[in-house]
Amino acid sequence: MNQACADAQSSTTAESPLLPAEISALYDAHSRAIYYLALRFLGNAQKAEDATHDVFLKALRNLKQFRGEATARTWLYRIAINHCKNVRSAWHDRHVLPSSDNEFFERVPGGESPLRILETKELGDRIQRALDGLPPEYRLLLLLVSDRELSYQEAGALTGQSADAVRGKLFRARKAFAGLFAQTE
Amino acid sequence: MKPQNKFSIGRHQEQAAAEQNTSKAAGSGLEFQTPEELLQHDAAQTTVPPTIARRLSQSITQPAAPRRPWWRKLMD
Repeated sequence: MNQACADAQSSTTAESPLLPAEISALYDAHSRAIYYLALRFLGNAQKAEDATHDVFLKALRNLKQFRGEATARTWLYRIAINHCKNVRSAWHDRHVLPSSDNEFFERVPGGESPLRILETKELGDRIQRALDGLPPEYRLLLLLVSDRELSYQEAGALTGQSADAVRGKLFRARKAFAGLFAQTE
Repeated sequence: MKPQNKFSIGRHQEQAAAEQNTSKAAGSGLEFQTPEELLQHDAAQTTVPPTIARRLSQSITQPAAPRRPWWRKLMD
């Protein structure tokens, strides 16, 4: 049995009875993580749905290429990150003027205090607005390290940097996110 | 290794769940120490649309559509 399927079957919940067995186990174990990454990275539910569909279709078509050197989760994240970056770049590069990281962190107030929520009703919108305010690299890092199944080393491998670099950037990303989140109240 | 202590996360989640229950009754809120905890909470509340599995199933059974010529991308 392929390692990706074997990894996935440990937490199968049969959410996808329509799918063939070889992708069903992967889908049940990882679809929430992939969908959430796509949703918050792209900031659009329809695009996230399309991306999740495309990621699992690509995974199925390339299942033989999965050599078990990474976990199934990181393998799927790699496909998802490439896909989401392509989706974003198609529109974003034509419409958004990028600013440098330093310019951004000078402009955005940092937050240190805990993130308090009184109203959970619009929480998703507030989180999205705060994430949208971050540079894409920092947004992606925060989303990846929020997954408890992923170590800093794996998050670094997925974004092409060392675990130490991830730690350094996360410090700034957390502070900026907290500041931006406070502004969404 | 992530710096967060698993025990403290677990304790915090229990506390958060307890607070959530309390908030329904008393109107109090939730508190997260890091953005990661907030995003974990958000992810746990997010449901994957069931339409994705249906679309995936259809896509698998149907043959792949012919590739679009490269120049069509320039027209979009």
